[in-house]
Amino acid sequence: MKASYRYAIIFLTPLFFILGILYFMTFWTIYISFTNWVGMRPNYQLAGLKWYSYMLSSDKFWVSLKNNLLWLVVFIVPTAILGLLIAYVLELYIVRGESIYRTIFLYPTALSFVVTGTLWAWIYDPANGVINSILSRLGIDTSHLGWICDPNIATYCLIAAAIWQYTGFAIVLFQSALRGGYLKSIIEAALVDGAHGWRLLWYVIVPNIRSAFVIVAALLAIFSLKVFDLVYVMTQGGPGISTYVLAFYMYMATFWKEMVSLGAAISVVIFALSMIIIIPYSYYALKRWLMK
Amino acid sequence: MKLRTINIIAYIVLGIIAVLWLVPLYLAITTSLKTLREVSAMNYLSLPRTPEPSNYVQAWNSGIGKGLLNSIIITIPTTILCVFIGAWAGYFLSRFRFRYAPLIFFITAIATFIPYQIVLIPLTQIVASLRIGQSHLGLIFAYTVLNVPLAALVTATFFTSIPKELEEAAYIDGCGPVKIFWKIILPVAKPALASAAILVFTQVWNEFLIALTLSTPSTKPVTPVVAELKGNYVAQWNIQMAGAILAILPPLILFLLMGKYFIRGLLAGTLKA
Repeated sequence: MKASYRYAIIFLTPLFFILGILYFMTFWTIYISFTNWVGMRPNYQLAGLKWYSYMLSSDKFWVSLKNNLLWLVVFIVPTAILGLLIAYVLELYIVRGESIYRTIFLYPTALSFVVTGTLWAWIYDPANGVINSILSRLGIDTSHLGWICDPNIATYCLIAAAIWQYTGFAIVLFQSALRGGYLKSIIEAALVDGAHGWRLLWYVIVPNIRSAFVIVAALLAIFSLKVFDLVYVMTQGGPGISTYVLAFYMYMATFWKEMVSLGAAISVVIFALSMIIIIPYSYYALKRWLMK
Repeated sequence: MKLRTINIIAYIVLGIIAVLWLVPLYLAITTSLKTLREVSAMNYLSLPRTPEPSNYVQAWNSGIGKGLLNSIIITIPTTILCVFIGAWAGYFLSRFRFRYAPLIFFITAIATFIPYQIVLIPLTQIVASLRIGQSHLGLIFAYTVLNVPLAALVTATFFTSIPKELEEAAYIDGCGPVKIFWKIILPVAKPALASAAILVFTQVWNEFLIALTLSTPSTKPVTPVVAELKGNYVAQWNIQMAGAILAILPPLILFLLMGKYFIRGLLAGTLKA
């Protein structure tokens, strides 16, 4: 149907009002990052790049950035691969009960990170946590296994919890791609030709499922740039600052140290890194969708 | 249908992974029913000798009960507002042809994905200057603003699939777009509304960063309470887990009852048509 201006105004004003607030707040934060706001009361006196240079000279920033990059790789790759493998098995080899399996893999996605963080913090607890108690029952010496208290592996432990929580999400996305008309007919043709197992997966599915990979990787990347809850609940950034990520640093700078302009500067970095993914992703996804 | 060896292997392998996926939930439920003495024995995989429901009472009285009530007061109005405002715009964007529609979709999509950190500091200022920081309205406002774009996109992806004939007939009968939206689109779009609602509900219920910064002691939702419980009951895993179970119950029940809509919403939220 053709749109008239009158109806455009009636239907779109509420959405525009909300988008207006969101974009306005975004520019507001960018502005704050160039001011000299320290303490509870707003101070909009411009300070140039003062807080950006403060940020760049802080160890916490570089540790956070390094950890966010670690999250990006160590979280996305296993989650996507595990998601594809499970989706593939579910679609091709599970005759009955597929929805029970899917429910079991997906339920963590519906839970809050604060709750799963509480749960995993206990599982990893070195003194009386689940893993170490089971290992010592098996007669294994656990005194050197610190898990989230070991600065060398703490971030990996957090990432493992996130993988547990998000694999179901990847499975669902890959399943929907495998059920898409085009890929489905290719798979059926390949099955008739006698392809199966690894050959089917590697030579038929992987080359044709690229767009689902892009979606999964982009969404997991957007998620991993703003990871906060798990760090807050499980390690508070520790031991030392070893599990700091940008979102946690931003929170600590703004609300604990009350260096609000510094917090805004860190937010701008998180925002800029996210936009590198969000803008092309939205463009690409909408183009595919609106072209239909 | 005859099962081949490969099918049996598939069942076993996925079964092992599924058990791994369920272990944390099993641990949380069984431990939440154990006495502290039994927890201290660190035999975590065992079942509780005699179930101890008093842990739930203690968790409830340590703030979880109040947190759950606050979460309900915040999440339900937010969900209704987001789905309504989102569907209102989503309908127009997906059903009417006009030059700027792709651009509006684009800025809505970007708003859906922006990290909360970039709006957090202004949100505290707006909520304070509107004088709604002391009531639940502050959190309702923040969550509504952040989730309307998502609701608009999710509903729009569904509206595109409604056959055009349906509204064209009404159009010829002299109905305007507003009436068509109420009388024709909304009744047939219940699955779309359900998907958007369950998605927004889960997001808002589980949110932590904004809940932590914008809530006051009297409006605190359940997620920050769970985090506090963890600090107040150090190593008392039974109380921590009882609180955790209570906090996840609403989204978990919704997910189990309406999993289909949850998955549809999840897929639509990725802009996947």
